[in-house]
Amino acid sequence: MEELLKILNEVKPGVDFTKEKDLIGSGILDSLSIIQLVTKISDEFDVEITPLDLVPENFESAETIYEMIQNAED
Amino acid sequence: MTYTSYLYFFVFVGIVFLIYLMVPLKRRWLVLLGASYVFYGFLNGIMTLFLMAATVSTFVFGKQITKQQQLFQAKKKELSKEEKKTFKAEITQRKKLFVAFAVVINLGILVYLKYYNFFAGQIGSIFSLCGVSVHVPLLRLALPLGISYYTLQSIGYIIDVYRGKYAAETNLAKLALFLSFFPQMTEGPIGRYNELTPQLIEGHRYSNENFTGGVTLMLWGFFKKLVISDRASFIVGSVFDNYQIHTGPVIIIAVVMYTIQLYTDFSGCIDIMTGCAKMFGIELAPNFRQPFFSKSVAEFWRRWHITLGTWFKDYVFYPVSLSAPFLKLSKSAQKHFGKFLAGFIPSAAALFVVWMCTGIWHGAAWKYVVYGLYYFLIILLGMLVEPLAVRICEKTGFNRKGKLWSCVCIVRTFILVNIGMMLFRADYVGDFFRMLAIPFRNWNFEEIMNSGVFYLGTDKHDFLVIAIGVIIMWIVALLKEKGHNVLSRITTGKLPLKWAVMIGLIVSCVVFGAYGIDYGVVDNIYAQF
Repeated sequence: MEELLKILNEVKPGVDFTKEKDLIGSGILDSLSIIQLVTKISDEFDVEITPLDLVPENFESAETIYEMIQNAED
Repeated sequence: MTYTSYLYFFVFVGIVFLIYLMVPLKRRWLVLLGASYVFYGFLNGIMTLFLMAATVSTFVFGKQITKQQQLFQAKKKELSKEEKKTFKAEITQRKKLFVAFAVVINLGILVYLKYYNFFAGQIGSIFSLCGVSVHVPLLRLALPLGISYYTLQSIGYIIDVYRGKYAAETNLAKLALFLSFFPQMTEGPIGRYNELTPQLIEGHRYSNENFTGGVTLMLWGFFKKLVISDRASFIVGSVFDNYQIHTGPVIIIAVVMYTIQLYTDFSGCIDIMTGCAKMFGIELAPNFRQPFFSKSVAEFWRRWHITLGTWFKDYVFYPVSLSAPFLKLSKSAQKHFGKFLAGFIPSAAALFVVWMCTGIWHGAAWKYVVYGLYYFLIILLGMLVEPLAVRICEKTGFNRKGKLWSCVCIVRTFILVNIGMMLFRADYVGDFFRMLAIPFRNWNFEEIMNSGVFYLGTDKHDFLVIAIGVIIMWIVALLKEKGHNVLSRITTGKLPLKWAVMIGLIVSCVVFGAYGIDYGVVDNIYAQF
């Protein structure tokens, strides 16, 4: 999780990702930042994120993103 | 579609609605299918065959993809890890082949009908530049109605089936209804199979709320189209057709008028169609969300023609960004450049593809290519400037979330969008640049002071009607932006209020609508795409 929080802060500095629960709705993450995030996640966690994973529900909070990574690892 | 055909549309919808309610619940979707094909056949005649070809090919290949998926699921338990991997690769290869067939057929029909003449013209021009006269025969076929919309729907469906989002439809008639549902055949919205089809197939009982809600929304759409859009079109046509003789301020008025015309035309038509579907208990995907309250151009495109933007995001931007060459580009950028550029370069490359597709989707002309390029460059510039702006604001303590800055951003976006609209409406790219230069060269208020602006195919009363219409629309949008949906409140409100609003809208359309002998007929702009 710490590794993910580090990536999130690199993509969007200045956001408290431990508290934010509506990253898409509040406009913190848009499609461009999602792509930057996914590219970094694929690299760091060595998982394959497909376009099918790129749904708003997977990017609502740091927890949901982490869950998506764990599913991709399985 | 003209105002007279709107009347036909009302009669048509009325008849279909009555038949729909008379048929048993389980069979009601067949009424919608029959009505959709009657509507489409009536407007397109023999060209309905293209819709049928798209439907059958999408159906056949979709089923084949799911069959491969099921084959893998059935066999995978019997296989070892290594065998499973090889078998999966084989199945994926076959699935990709079926997707390719479906996309080539669907996109092929669209490209052939929409872009053939453009390419033929370009080839002819290239040869003539080389001094060789070549006659490339042109296609004498009108573009079938809604082809740009249902083609995207069928491709989206096929890709979703390939991705395993849902299994392919096993009933050809149900898929045919998804691709031909009559309210969305003129200008969209571009529907998704998993969201729309269950609603279409489920028989809906009569609901007072749906009926009054649907009719109110339709009347609101007519108000936008007949009272504002069609009236504004005369000022726009008059200036854009002879822009050379006008001064800067008049050009600016005409461009703003065109933005008003396009928005009220497109969103008005979408309201009519959404209201029509709502009468049957079907919710179409929203296509607009108060776009003129956007603080950036990127946000504007998330609020304007939403279903087109999300389609390109899901089926072009994401797959392109996550494709092997782009991931490679990203890694290489990470190695050679800083952190910022490592994220920026692949995103910019994927955005370029998306904006070229968006531009070309609108039409077969160079101006649409430049239109896509324009928005690509603006968004790219925004991405480049953003980190710098954040740093400056942090150092100076400037509040970027303050009301004043929000207003500045809204105005800035409005100006940039209007320049885009000018390009969208100009006949050629050259006309756009010449027209854009006029406000910088000829800033003369004489034409306005001499009331010349009131003789651009309209008079003072027309301006007044447009102004009042826009103010009403702006108030409704502002309230919606603040979370108060006026139209749905009216629908769920008391009976006298419902009737007062409906009668008010009907009277406004009849009295102030720009129709009749003096006005001629204005086609829906987005129906031409």
